[in-house]
Amino acid sequence: MRSAAQFCASAGLTRFRIDEEELAIDVRRSPRPVSTATAVAGDDALGSAHSSNGAATAAERPSTVLKAEFVGIVRLSRPTVAEGTVLGEDRELAYVESLGIRNPVRSGGPGRISAVYVNDGEPVGYGQPLFAIEA
Amino acid sequence: MFQRLLIANRGEIAMRVNRAAHELGIETVAIYSEADRASLHVRDADRAFCVGPGPVARSYLNIPNIISAALISGADAIHPGYGFLAENARFAEICADHGLTFVGPAPETIASMGDKATAKAIMAAAKVPTTPGTDILDSVTDALVAANRLGYPVMLKATAGGGGKGMREVRTPGELEHAFATAQAEAEANFKDGRLYMEKLIERPRHVEVQVIGDRFGNVVHVGERDCSVQKPSHQKLVEEAPAPRLDAKTRARLHDVALSAARAVKYGSAGTLEFLVSGDDVYFMEMNTRIQVEHPVTEMLYGVDLVKEQIRVAAGEKLSFEQERLVPHGHAIECRINAEEASNHFAPAAGTLTDVALPGGFGVRVDSHAYAGLAIPPFYDSLLAKIVTHGASRIEAIDRMDAALGDTWIAGVNTTVGICRTIMRDDAFRHGGVGIDFLPSLMTAAATPT
Repeated sequence: MRSAAQFCASAGLTRFRIDEEELAIDVRRSPRPVSTATAVAGDDALGSAHSSNGAATAAERPSTVLKAEFVGIVRLSRPTVAEGTVLGEDRELAYVESLGIRNPVRSGGPGRISAVYVNDGEPVGYGQPLFAIEA
Repeated sequence: MFQRLLIANRGEIAMRVNRAAHELGIETVAIYSEADRASLHVRDADRAFCVGPGPVARSYLNIPNIISAALISGADAIHPGYGFLAENARFAEICADHGLTFVGPAPETIASMGDKATAKAIMAAAKVPTTPGTDILDSVTDALVAANRLGYPVMLKATAGGGGKGMREVRTPGELEHAFATAQAEAEANFKDGRLYMEKLIERPRHVEVQVIGDRFGNVVHVGERDCSVQKPSHQKLVEEAPAPRLDAKTRARLHDVALSAARAVKYGSAGTLEFLVSGDDVYFMEMNTRIQVEHPVTEMLYGVDLVKEQIRVAAGEKLSFEQERLVPHGHAIECRINAEEASNHFAPAAGTLTDVALPGGFGVRVDSHAYAGLAIPPFYDSLLAKIVTHGASRIEAIDRMDAALGDTWIAGVNTTVGICRTIMRDDAFRHGGVGIDFLPSLMTAAATPT
């Protein structure tokens, strides 16, 4: 733990997460804790590699992770969003195509896309992180 | 042969099917719930999809997500294992609608065998002996008339039933009204179908079942019987063995013949099991399970055939790879189900994390298990942790081998059935052989009564 914390400090990371089965170690150096970003913690191995990249910038603002609720193929809606895209209002970011049905994934309001975890046409499982949005 | 098989199950049976598929050169796709993320069946498969949260209705029974996972992964078949969707005729139909082969019998067969009253009628027409009983009972009055005709004691059963739910033993006319109401309510709550029928209660029977397997060309063989009389008070099996001990040759041959004619009557084209009650020389058909069963390894050990591989082969349209004459039993095989349960507390499921796991091995010992140290047991699923199967040249050798194997079994963190299984292996009546389904409940009562 100590060496991991020292590593984080020396590397200038705000967060270092080990998440294996029941064991979850979550280290942060930010004075203000990330609020909703912790909702991601321990959730998906696929998402964790990406979320640690975004954590330094996401640390200042609350962010929400939108996850797939259906097993299917994700299709990014046009115009496609990328990390940094600012949304003025609620809009469809993508849809998950499952058994021929388009299940929309909406931003739920204005905000800034802080991470895009999936590529267009990628198969996704239930609960897989798709986007992170800062309010 | 299939290219890619989705395994719509979890735990040891998902791993069992995964191994069989890999041996056949088939790629595998696992599904899992959020509660099973760290499960071995997820690691063993070539690919895995999370299909929902822990509760079964939203994950392992989530038909749209399971079908979608099969389609996007390019699977051409789905193996349902046992439980969950294994005997869901609608699911089998949906698979077919999406161009996926369901590894099991035709949907119509699943539907007719899944409805106990229909199954019984089909079997009676095929001259398979069935327990004397009734059709659906419309009222308590009907039930009273029927019970008088059959003679007490009788058993009320839910037509959609299973796992002991919606079943009531009735010994006197005075008990019938209350039993009818409670069984109906239980059936309604569990199966959304409160219809009941009645059977004469066969006192202290043995539970003997016959394994059959058929292909799509009309070939059907039996792979002998299994004795599953050691059952918990809830009628769930705990110890199974083959061949059935102290069963006379004539009754054994009759069971095999009856099972074969029953399987032929429904043109059975997969692996399945016909369950019978045996009382003296009398055999009565109970039900047909249209899936691979938990206890199939007992038969595999005895006959040296891989039933799961064969089930996949015939589903892919191949002919049975063995004929009846080639199927010869050798020695004796026994299985003990190691469940996360507290035997002394009515086999209540035990929750927790496995802190230490050491499973037995060695000559004549087979273990099918998904347990490992560190595994958290989710509260949503059945409590089976491991199946220990031993094979011996004789029944007593198989029992002693099981006793030794159980002694080598170390599972810490939760209560298990290792202890009660060991008690059974050392019990004189069990060692003598031929116990009835009242054996384990009596043993538990005796153990709970201070002397």
